[in-house]
Amino acid sequence: MIVRKLCMRQSRQLLALNRRAPAYSRFLSTETPVETAVQTPAKESPAPAENPLHQVVQASRESRKLKPRQQWNELEKRRHKFNTLGSAVQESYDPEDILRNPPKPSDITLEMLLAAGTHMGHSTSRWNPQNSRYIFGIREGVHIISLDVTAAYLRRAAKVVEEVAARGGIILFAGTRKGQKRAVVHAAELAKGYHIFERWIPGSMTNGQQILGHCETKVVNALDEELPEFKVDLADRPSVKPDLVIVLNPLENVVLLHECGLNNVPTIGIIDTDADPTRVTYPIPANDDTLRGTSLIAGILGRAGEAGQKRRLEMAAEGKTDYEPITARQLRLDPLTGLPPPGSELEKGQQA
Amino acid sequence: MGKINLTALRVRKTALNQFASGKINKLPQWVDVVGEIPPSETLIRTPPPQHQLVRQRMKTVAGSSKPQVVFEVQENRRKSKKPSRLFQPLELKYEEDELRQDFFRDHPWELARPRVLLESTGKDHENYDWSRIKQPGKRLDGESVVQRQLWLLNNEPDMTKSNAYDIARREFYRLRLQEDIERRVAAEEAEATGANFGPSHLEIGMDLENQQYEKWKVWARTEAQLFEQRSAALSGAPEIALEQQSEKEETFTEQPDVPV
Repeated sequence: MIVRKLCMRQSRQLLALNRRAPAYSRFLSTETPVETAVQTPAKESPAPAENPLHQVVQASRESRKLKPRQQWNELEKRRHKFNTLGSAVQESYDPEDILRNPPKPSDITLEMLLAAGTHMGHSTSRWNPQNSRYIFGIREGVHIISLDVTAAYLRRAAKVVEEVAARGGIILFAGTRKGQKRAVVHAAELAKGYHIFERWIPGSMTNGQQILGHCETKVVNALDEELPEFKVDLADRPSVKPDLVIVLNPLENVVLLHECGLNNVPTIGIIDTDADPTRVTYPIPANDDTLRGTSLIAGILGRAGEAGQKRRLEMAAEGKTDYEPITARQLRLDPLTGLPPPGSELEKGQQA
Repeated sequence: MGKINLTALRVRKTALNQFASGKINKLPQWVDVVGEIPPSETLIRTPPPQHQLVRQRMKTVAGSSKPQVVFEVQENRRKSKKPSRLFQPLELKYEEDELRQDFFRDHPWELARPRVLLESTGKDHENYDWSRIKQPGKRLDGESVVQRQLWLLNNEPDMTKSNAYDIARREFYRLRLQEDIERRVAAEEAEATGANFGPSHLEIGMDLENQQYEKWKVWARTEAQLFEQRSAALSGAPEIALEQQSEKEETFTEQPDVPV
């Protein structure tokens, strides 16, 4: 028992519940008290209703006999009564924040990457020596990826995404690990690109006619408005290939990266210390096992794509483009021979 | 196989070659982008970053009245000087490592306390000032002692490791005791204003044990009856059988009183 501030505390307690007063003689006398009464709070306490807490106190006491449902209601009532008390949480970590509102490439800081855990590599025994220039050191048997290298490579990759988006390129985000789905989809939404969060079907690029032949395609103008009059000309076209592929887990998507190599498509990938950096055009050395880290990187690249798309649409509104637009005549030509289709107006025009 | 595949790094060159040879009739949109922002040199090995162990101390030097800051640098010794090991990353070592090891060797149960590993911004260290042990927004734990000890070693003149350890530890113990008292007082106050903490873990455990004990009592009673019946049947003594009969009746009459 603490003697300090005893009266203050005890008086408050006495106000709340009518229980037997403590034996003060213990503190006042030097002799040991002969009989010490066992202090048990009175079961039924008809305390005065002057105390505002009294009602709540009573409620909590009765709840011992109540059914779970009623106990819960009592708890809710009490919480409602007291929820204005206590301290307010000023700044708290929200794991959804990175998904909903990813940072821009200009906001990249080493602290942000550190907090997301992008610096953790794999066990030293599993390393790929080609990654040695990205590794800062060894800590507890684990390779630590250099954060400044990660930041530099991430900025470079973001720049590429932005430029490709500004030229109207098709960007594909692929992240096939568990939990990467939302980050991948949101990044693709921002960059107006496409996404894969399940398995990459092998041959989707090399054998696209068979696998993606039934998929819908459309022709759009510089302002992204659909032009339905060209629907007919798209019938015999080969499947559309991406202009940039972003892979969040290159280890599981070797087939995708191989097909990108065959089709000559530039790629961006998160390279952990056990991955092969030559598989991708623009590696981002970072930890690919932390969802927070991959979400952060996907979000940053998505934001870069968003900036590029915005720039492209602004230029298009002024009637300019950053790229060489395809003409109506080129669209109507036969995709295999490069000649006008027989019996069409184009052929007649050429002959005349 | 076995060779390095540079296809991904040479996309631009391949596209230009394909265009020059007429395989593709139009250059892709990304060709000038990749030309302006070229991929990095992936396969060039660079010497790994060298990590030195730097110790900062305040020392009184003969001839001057004020203590001066002295830096002692310890080079990271390389295990092997073989050329094949030349590009391998080096071990990261800091002065705190030893202090941390010492503290947790002496206080192993400090490792059992819950700890927040998550950082929201990564800038938590900016709010910390280790000239005192208690930090805003950080729970007091073993790491506080380590950091406080390091600060003392770095900033207090002529401080030894054990001396700094003792100072930091004493502050830590004092705050831990204060936390205990605060927790007890808070519980008391909460109970006084109507909080109901419910049965404790020990009480729940005792209840469960009692239930099992009651079950065992019922089981043991039937087992004992069976045993007695069997022994009576074997001996064939009629007086024992009669006694047993009367006992059985007693137990039947007693049974409602037995709490089950």
